Amino acid sequence: MKISLRILALTGITAPALFLAGCATGVQNPSGVPVTEMKADERGFVAGTGVESQDLVAVTDKMARGVLAIPEIANAKVTPRIVLDPVVNETRFPINKDIFLTRIRSQLNEKSMGKVRFLDREMMKTLERERDLKRSGQVTASADPSVVEFRGADYFLTGKLQGLTTKTSAGTSDYILYSFRLTDARTSEIVWESSSEIKKQGLEDAAYR
Amino acid sequence: MVKSLSRFIFRRLALAGAGAVALVLTGCATLPERKEIRYTGDPIVDGNAERAAAPVRDRALWDFRIAASALRANNDAEAKLHLDDAIPLIGGILANTDDAKKARRLFFGGESNKTFIGEPYERVMAYYYRAVLYWRDGQPDNARACYRTGQLIDSDAETAEYKGDYVLLDYLDGFVSAKLSSDGSDAFARAQAGAKGKKLPPYDTSANVLIFAEYGTGPRKYGGGEFGEQLKFFVKDSTAHSATLAINGQTVRLPAYDDLNFQATTRGGRTMDFILGDHAVFKSGADKAGDVALVGAVIAANQRGRNADTTALALGAFGVLSKLASAATTVKADIRMWDNLPQRLSFAALRLAPGDYPATLEFQDASGRTLAGLTQTLSLHVDATERDTVIFLSELKR
Repeated sequence: MKISLRILALTGITAPALFLAGCATGVQNPSGVPVTEMKADERGFVAGTGVESQDLVAVTDKMARGVLAIPEIANAKVTPRIVLDPVVNETRFPINKDIFLTRIRSQLNEKSMGKVRFLDREMMKTLERERDLKRSGQVTASADPSVVEFRGADYFLTGKLQGLTTKTSAGTSDYILYSFRLTDARTSEIVWESSSEIKKQGLEDAAYR
Repeated sequence: MVKSLSRFIFRRLALAGAGAVALVLTGCATLPERKEIRYTGDPIVDGNAERAAAPVRDRALWDFRIAASALRANNDAEAKLHLDDAIPLIGGILANTDDAKKARRLFFGGESNKTFIGEPYERVMAYYYRAVLYWRDGQPDNARACYRTGQLIDSDAETAEYKGDYVLLDYLDGFVSAKLSSDGSDAFARAQAGAKGKKLPPYDTSANVLIFAEYGTGPRKYGGGEFGEQLKFFVKDSTAHSATLAINGQTVRLPAYDDLNFQATTRGGRTMDFILGDHAVFKSGADKAGDVALVGAVIAANQRGRNADTTALALGAFGVLSKLASAATTVKADIRMWDNLPQRLSFAALRLAPGDYPATLEFQDASGRTLAGLTQTLSLHVDATERDTVIFLSELKR
């Protein structure tokens, strides 16, 4: 009889436990996950082994400091004009390439106190159209529109992203080399070059292997 | 007296067991009600409605399907929107997630509880389609990044000869490099080595029109094994084996370089297959043990004596618990699938002056005969810009 009661008690405990476990499969995070504000140089909880915001911030900060420190910029008698040339992506990660140069440019503009100027070649079509309107007298001009005032570049700033990937049963590892250079537009000399390297690795859950 | 009490308890135990089973089976019905969908027949509109109503874990699945439909409908913005939503998820490292843990769980789990990222051939196709759009936008280096990641995803295959064996991913990787004045010869050599006797066209870096073509119907998933614990693929060889495009007085051959049926079926075993296999063994074992115990309980209950009653009770309880454990063991493989993929992929590059061109796309069967009813009459536009004109042609309607 004692055995029977034990079994009964066991059944009584196990069945509700199984029932409750079954109910736990309905809704995930029923109350939601509140939005978490993070710093751009902080690693988020959604992560991959590719290019992320914290890498962008670290790399562009380093590059902006590097450009400002070189004598060609720091000691220039005439403010150097720089044109940004699109970054070349040789990694396995599709990225928004402009974002690197945009951040370097904004960092330099913020910190250089006018030591460098950037030429807005993205706006060339719009600028040319405006100049033509001025030349044809369709809009007013504050200076003689027939004089060419678009400036030429003293330097070109560009970069390249290259990567190495290893994938084994132990996980995926990605190494990315971010290199940027400043090239003299007149002589083709590379007057500055710097690089930054970041390696990441991870292993996905067994459910995805 | 003792005997009748024991029988009373036994009956109650059986009732409790049956009640518990019923509760377990109905206790999961707490999912939020699915929004009703009014179908329009437009795969993009309907797909978006399905996506909005789907659980979060299925979002990438709908993103994949909508993106393919959008690409075929020349709706680049919609295709990009969905691929850019899905790619960070499928390209990341999914670790320490609750739904993945649930998918691996013995009781009340199920592989389809995990966030859908697709099998390697599905993930590869997400990158392949995104590459088409990057190239069309004048970003061939980002397209190359997609080809490289695609090939890496395919390196999961169990057998070495099937690792990273997409011909077009290597071929196009090298083609982008050649167009960007880099060396694409290694990638070309890899592509040629995997082309199974097909001679790949040499890179023409002056080609300004790139044609991506797809035809046939891709693989379908189903659950095999005793409990549907094995992920299996239904592959039917599609009628269209090759294609040709007649344009500007020339006939451009579009042979099949890659076959998704082949890719889906050559991955080999997954880690998840072992987990589900173990679950299936447990489920089957628990079910059989339950059967034996319950039969034993009935036999024991028909014997005389106190020990017989106690034995019947014990066996009955064990049988019920075993049956419960078996019922609660989830073993089904995840068969959610990107169901509008093609079977065959092709590519060609040619030179054309800017302008509009009438063109005819035809598909051929295995013997080279043109398949009536599949011919498409097209008007193709070649841009005057510096960027390449990327044309996407599909036999599939949605």
